[in-house]
This record gives sequence, structure tokens and C-alpha cells, in this order.
Amino acid sequence: MLDLIREIETDLEDGWEAASRVELQTAEHTRRAVARFTRALWITLAIMLVFNSERLVTWVNGFGVGPVQDTVVALSVAWNERMLASGFTEPSLAARGKVDELRGASWAEFELRVDSERARAREGARLLRGGLGGGPG
Amino acid sequence: MLFPTIEFGIFFLIVFTVSWAARWTPHWRKLVLLAASYFFYGWWDWRFMGLLLVSTLINYTAGLGLARTTHPVLRKLIVTLAVTGGLAILGFFKYYGFFLTSLSTLLEMAGLERDLPFMQVILPVGISFFTFQGISYVVDVYRGHVRAERSLANVMLYISFFPQLVAGPIVRAADFLPQLHRAPVLTRAHVGVGTVLILSGLAKKMLIANYLATELVDPVFFDPTAVSALDLLIGVYGYAIQIYCDFSGYSDIAIGVAALLGYRFLENFNQPYRAASLQDFWRRWHISLSTWLRDYLYKPLGGNRQGEARTYRNLFLTMFLGGIWHGAAWTFVFWGAFHGAMLGIERYVRRRLDEFAPPNSEAGGIASAIGHGAQHIVGVFWTFHLVCFAWIFFRADSFSTAGSYLAGFARWSDPSQYATPFLVGLIAIAMIFQFTPRDLGRWLAQGLQWLPSPILGLILGGGIWLIWAVAPEGVAPFIYFQF
Repeated sequence: MLDLIREIETDLEDGWEAASRVELQTAEHTRRAVARFTRALWITLAIMLVFNSERLVTWVNGFGVGPVQDTVVALSVAWNERMLASGFTEPSLAARGKVDELRGASWAEFELRVDSERARAREGARLLRGGLGGGPG
Repeated sequence: MLFPTIEFGIFFLIVFTVSWAARWTPHWRKLVLLAASYFFYGWWDWRFMGLLLVSTLINYTAGLGLARTTHPVLRKLIVTLAVTGGLAILGFFKYYGFFLTSLSTLLEMAGLERDLPFMQVILPVGISFFTFQGISYVVDVYRGHVRAERSLANVMLYISFFPQLVAGPIVRAADFLPQLHRAPVLTRAHVGVGTVLILSGLAKKMLIANYLATELVDPVFFDPTAVSALDLLIGVYGYAIQIYCDFSGYSDIAIGVAALLGYRFLENFNQPYRAASLQDFWRRWHISLSTWLRDYLYKPLGGNRQGEARTYRNLFLTMFLGGIWHGAAWTFVFWGAFHGAMLGIERYVRRRLDEFAPPNSEAGGIASAIGHGAQHIVGVFWTFHLVCFAWIFFRADSFSTAGSYLAGFARWSDPSQYATPFLVGLIAIAMIFQFTPRDLGRWLAQGLQWLPSPILGLILGGGIWLIWAVAPEGVAPFIYFQF
């Protein structure tokens, strides 16, 4: 995968006569790439603040005691409560719940789940073929 | 400051923004990255920033000295002093306690008990990595592979650049310093590669390594006498995956972060558990260390150019010292010595087999292809289990624990506590990725590099959110920080 970056460097090493053209192009590419990734980073930050506000509270609680820290903690708690009320923390809880379910599953439960998935797939296939009633007999 | 934390996220956001804003004046940009790197290191323990600086100054001065003289004896003296200086610092911080404890035990056994000057020496994080980078710089200048740097800032940035500072990959001066002389560049390719590596690194570390560590490996290695043989087997497989995901996850994030800052590091792992021989394994595992050991230890010892016996000796010594590099404990020494011995045996057996049936003399055809395929599968299976056997000593806190672990393989009738679908599934998923096409990451990076920024942000943010949401609580440190 890192050869993707290497290809760019090879372009830059092509020779002095091509340098100014390549430099101009790469300066423009760099400006665009930086702007593009900066936007992506801000979107990432927004997603984390909205959907992962609980971890924000855990993090700021480790700041210690002081007037600034207390304000930050109060703001984070208020933010988290608002996110909770709006239902934005639901996806995190649902994902964690699914993983906890998997962690606690025994082999018997696992087999049961596989069987039910198989049955569902068979039922889906039957409906797709146009079958309406139950099986023969 | 660990990579998968909010602190690092904020730190990276600031460094990315400020360093690229300063790109029109490359010298200032380097100073920004240098200040960020020392801040990153000082976050662990500010007292060791001086040690990092002293280590850098030794190598910088030696580089200048090598550039100013052509006298062979003087040049040899300079490189010897610089390498010895670096190794002396590493030796004191890393091996002082181990050496005195071993000496005390030895004296006690001989009935010559003495009061030895024991001290509580704190191991500075990343010391093994920045010492090796410093040695790489001085030796490369000595060999003429790289020019001595006149700019102290460049050498300081090379040794302290934060993505690789505390746990590698070990970057070579000849690879990195030329990048500091070029104008900084960020392309769509850098962004695609960086995003894929950061997401894959976080997933490996936070999901696979952390769950395997807390729910399987730690309890099984804590008391191997209390679990069944199946648990011990799953435990060592789990550790093989844990250490791979932990270390390669760190390397992935480091390489990805460096790419987003416009620098290229070399690959550090290449699906190591698909190796069909130990030699192949060491070409795929911790590549920056194994190539470092090859170029700065194995080859100077004579490599394979001085006859069979010396080749075996050099192989053994290189791996033995590689084992000691990992940590100050006899279990690491055994781990290195075992790999060295097995590499020697493997080489010997292969040469004898090649004499018996030369590889090119075989006839083609389906039978031959099936034979090669079967040989490859057996090779992968055998290599993986040899590596797993050595991992038991690497992970165990003492020979006694390792012994109990091995003895426990007799308890096959006991019921298993840890072979749950979740843990077996994690191991299976990680193993499957050892055999996926090598270009999978490249294809993903190529796909990502053309996406508009809102979609890229949704993928990056959504990926990090999902990993954090399902990862275990808390952030466990990376295994290789202790080295």
C-alpha cells in the first residue's frame, strides 16, 4: 500500500527540468489535500462529540479539581445529557449491547443462532421462489 | 499519550493544522514537528527529554566528526565511541537491574554473597528504538549511505519524530533524512493510505488485541496450572494474535500518522503468520528490527560469507542479541536463542534437502504442484506452532510459569473455560486476515483517496466511533512500549 506514496516521490525526483512544473502541481495538490483532510477531521470530531459524548464525560472527569476544570466537567455533563435526551447515544449502546451479547454467548447459543439464521435464509429463499403455504404433507 | 485516546486526537488535530499551515517555510515546519515530538515524549515523563537530547547530540556530533575527517582510524574511533555511548545509555537504563540481580544470584550460588549497588532505574519509554535509530544514523554516515547532517534540527527530528518515537518502526536515516530536504507534500494517496492504516491499526489494537488480552491471555498466563490444555492452546494462539495486533496496530497508526504529515515510513509487518519458514517469518515480522539487525549486526559479523559454521554462529548471535534487545529477562534471552537455533537448524535441513533433491530438478505437472502446495501448508502450520512455542517464553514472567504452561498440555480431559465462540471468533478473524490478498489495503486506500471530504469524514469518524463504542473500557498500553 505504501508504494502509492512512493509513486508520488518518484514523480518529484524526475529531474530538475521538470521540478518547477511538478512543484507547482504538488503545491496545489497539497493545498487541496490538506483542506480536504482538515474537513474530514472536523467531521470526525463532530461525530465523536455527538455519538460518543459519554466518553467525553469520562475523559474530562480525569482533569482534577479547579474552577476551569469544574466548568469543563459541567459543560460536558450538560452536553452528554442533551445527546442522551436526543437519542444520539443509542447507536453506541446498541453496538455495545450486541458485542456484550456475543461475548456472553455459549457454543449452544451460537449453534442455535446459526440454525435460526439458516432457517431464515431457507424461508427467504422459499418466498423468493413464490412458495406460499407450508411444506408438503 | 497513547494513540487511541482523546488526548492524542486533539494533539494530532493541532499538529496537522499547524504543521501544514507552516508548509511554506519548511524550516519552521520542522521546528513545529520537533516541538510537537518533544512535547509528545515529555507527556510520558518530562525528565527523559534531556536523555533524548543527549543521545541525539552524541550522534549529531559523531556525524559532523565523520564528515570532517577522512582518516580511517579516526573515523572508526568516532563511530565506535558513538555506538558505544548509545549502547552504554541503553545498557544502563535497560539492563542495570537485570545484570545486578543475575550477578547477585550467581554469587549467592557460589557462596560469595556481596552487597551490590542496587538502584531503582526507571526505563525511559522508547529508549531501545531511539538508540537504534541513532546508531543507524552514525553507521550510515560512516558507510557513506547518507551525508552527515549539518542541521541539528534535522537530526533531532529524525530521532524524535513522534509517530515512531516510542515503539517504532525503526526508521533508517537513509530513508528519512532525504524526506526532510524535500518540500512537504500531501496528496490524495497520502490521505487514503493514512486513513486506512489508522482505522486498521485502531481496530487491531482496540478490538482484537485488547479483548484477547483481558478476556483470554492475561488470565491463562496468570495461572496456567488452573486451566485445561485446550485453554492453554487457545491462550497461546490468542497471545500470538494479541502481540501481532498490538504491535502491528501501533505500527499501522504510526505509519498512517506520518503519511498524513507527508512522510513515508517503510512497512513493518507483512502478514507474518502466513510464513512457511522461520526465515520467511522474520522477513514479515517487525521488518524494521529484523532488517536493522541484518544490516548492523549480522552482516558486520560476516553474514553468510565466511563459511557454514560462521553463518550459523552469526545467525544465532544476531537472534540472541535480538532477544536481549526485547527485554532484560532470561525468558527473552531464551526466546531469542530459540529463534537463532531454529533458524540455524532450518538452514541446515534446507541445504541438505536441496542437495538431496535440487529445487529446479523436479518435473512440472499437477503432482508436483500438489506436492509444493502440501509442503507449503505443512510449512505454514509448522512455522506458526514453532513461533507460538517461543511466544510462551516471551509472554511468561518466568521459566517456572513457562514450564507450568507446557506441563499443562497434558490436561486434555479438563473442561475448557475460555474457548468461547467470541474469543475463538476473534482469533479466527485475525488469522483469516493473514491470508487475504496482500493488496487489500492498497485497494481500500485507492478507493478512499477519491472520495469527497464529507464521505471521507463520515468513514473516518464512523469507523473511530464504532471501534470506540465496541472496544473494552479503558486503554491498555501497547506491549512494545516496555521495550
